[in-house]
Amino acid sequence: MLRNGAGMAAGEETVHRDRCAIVGIGATDYSRASGRSDLTLAVQAARAALDDAGLTAADIDGIVRCDMDTVLHNDLVDALGIPNLTYWSQVGPGGVAPPAMVGQAVGAIMSGQASTVLVFRELNGRSGRRYGQAPKQDALIGGGGSYDEFFAPYGLVTPGQIFALMAQRHMHEFGTQPEHLGAIALACRERAQANPNAQMYGRPLTMDDYLAARPISEPLRLFDFCLETDGAAAVIVTSAERARNLRKPPVLIRAVAQASTRDPQPGIQFPVLMREGITSLPAVAVADTLYRRAGLGPEDIDVAQIYDCFTITVLMQLEDWGFCKKGEGGPFVASGEIDLGGRIPINTGGGHLSEGYIHGMNHILEGVRQIRGESTSQVPGAQNCLVTATPLPPGSGMILGAA
Amino acid sequence: MTGYTVRPVADDLDTGGFFAAAQDGQVAVQHCGECGQVLHMPRAYCRHCGAFSPRWRAVAPTGTVFSYTVVTHQVHPAFEVPYTVLLVELDEPAGVRLIGHVPGRPAVHIGQPVRASFPALPDGSLLPNWELLDDDAVAS
Repeated sequence: MLRNGAGMAAGEETVHRDRCAIVGIGATDYSRASGRSDLTLAVQAARAALDDAGLTAADIDGIVRCDMDTVLHNDLVDALGIPNLTYWSQVGPGGVAPPAMVGQAVGAIMSGQASTVLVFRELNGRSGRRYGQAPKQDALIGGGGSYDEFFAPYGLVTPGQIFALMAQRHMHEFGTQPEHLGAIALACRERAQANPNAQMYGRPLTMDDYLAARPISEPLRLFDFCLETDGAAAVIVTSAERARNLRKPPVLIRAVAQASTRDPQPGIQFPVLMREGITSLPAVAVADTLYRRAGLGPEDIDVAQIYDCFTITVLMQLEDWGFCKKGEGGPFVASGEIDLGGRIPINTGGGHLSEGYIHGMNHILEGVRQIRGESTSQVPGAQNCLVTATPLPPGSGMILGAA
Repeated sequence: MTGYTVRPVADDLDTGGFFAAAQDGQVAVQHCGECGQVLHMPRAYCRHCGAFSPRWRAVAPTGTVFSYTVVTHQVHPAFEVPYTVLLVELDEPAGVRLIGHVPGRPAVHIGQPVRASFPALPDGSLLPNWELLDDDAVAS
């Protein structure tokens, strides 16, 4: 049976371990109406990341974008005044990308195609194109390999409905309760109360609030859904050697991994419901690959930024990443293990559920803050921070560590 | 499916046979014409034997509810809330799933038997759908 990395010589996939670092992070404010173009948001995040690193546009020779960014590499080269870009790349689909985007930067640096790479994600996700909206009325839907023709005619049209079907099944198989999902929403909301840049800063949430909120696609309620956000976030990656002489202490990239699952089904979302099981995510395969590459296991992770498009997505990933057994995610989160002081504090900036939805990229920034000791909900002495982007259909992840 | 206006692309090269079979009142699942493996979601290539010989085969129009969601937040004008989306697992071939739509908020549970129906779309074409049966119903 083939495993990830099975074709590699011993040590080959660990070559990049601790060899590159994130040396700058930058973000805009997160809002519902930025009043700025996608390009302006991207430039502001990139400028902030450069300033954080103590670098200028002339130091950047690589750019990695997400396939759902509207801003192109060339747009930023021109806007920032980058004199000589020698590498550019993009990764998708969407929220799966951010750790893999950093992985592209690592690959470019280690192969000599670039020295210092800007990785960015921008979206006017509330005032502009809103994800999770259904196709237009009267549209002829599907075909062309989308497989939407098997789903949209039945009113199955949004990611939230997919995850609702998964949540219902998880409840059936393992006895997961609404209060378990609520514990995830509350943990993220509490972290946001300490983060002035979080969209839900100043808006605490109780379990009664959570349970009383209107259902959207049962069993999921309003606060099981992430926010719609206007904003941008960027990081700068360079070699560990160059990182030593910059403004901020380097945050090492212990390892990065992308992985697909066996029998993943085609397309980017709805066909995942045809997988043999729908209570696991590709996180299982990404975890296996990433932990092996990093030489670490879940017991070595001090804090985690878990991709949280929905609460159920977090619950399944906590199981799949090995923080608890499959099926035990509900009791695990309800017992406080994801809170500060618990076994694995998560989403310490508030996550997509309460900080903002920058499609996985703000999780990387918060991971960097934890290793620097700069988080507004700092885990004391954090040495290793896991960042996941393993919703569906495939996934990616990374571990950030102290130098 | 009152108010229903979303029409599927029914002539896709890989998936059109599903909708063609529905016009004859059949639920069809794609198989490999050489080795017989199920190819679902439908695609021409069989990775098991390497053939490009897909065949549509009518299957028993029965199954059970594998999961479901009651949609209460209106996201599309064609689908009045509340409505219930069924994730149906066919009785055969094993493991093959399809989607169903039930208006409103019916009594439903995982494992409940379902049977195919073929409601007409506004253009007169038929779409496979699934109706909930009583637990003790003889699914045939």
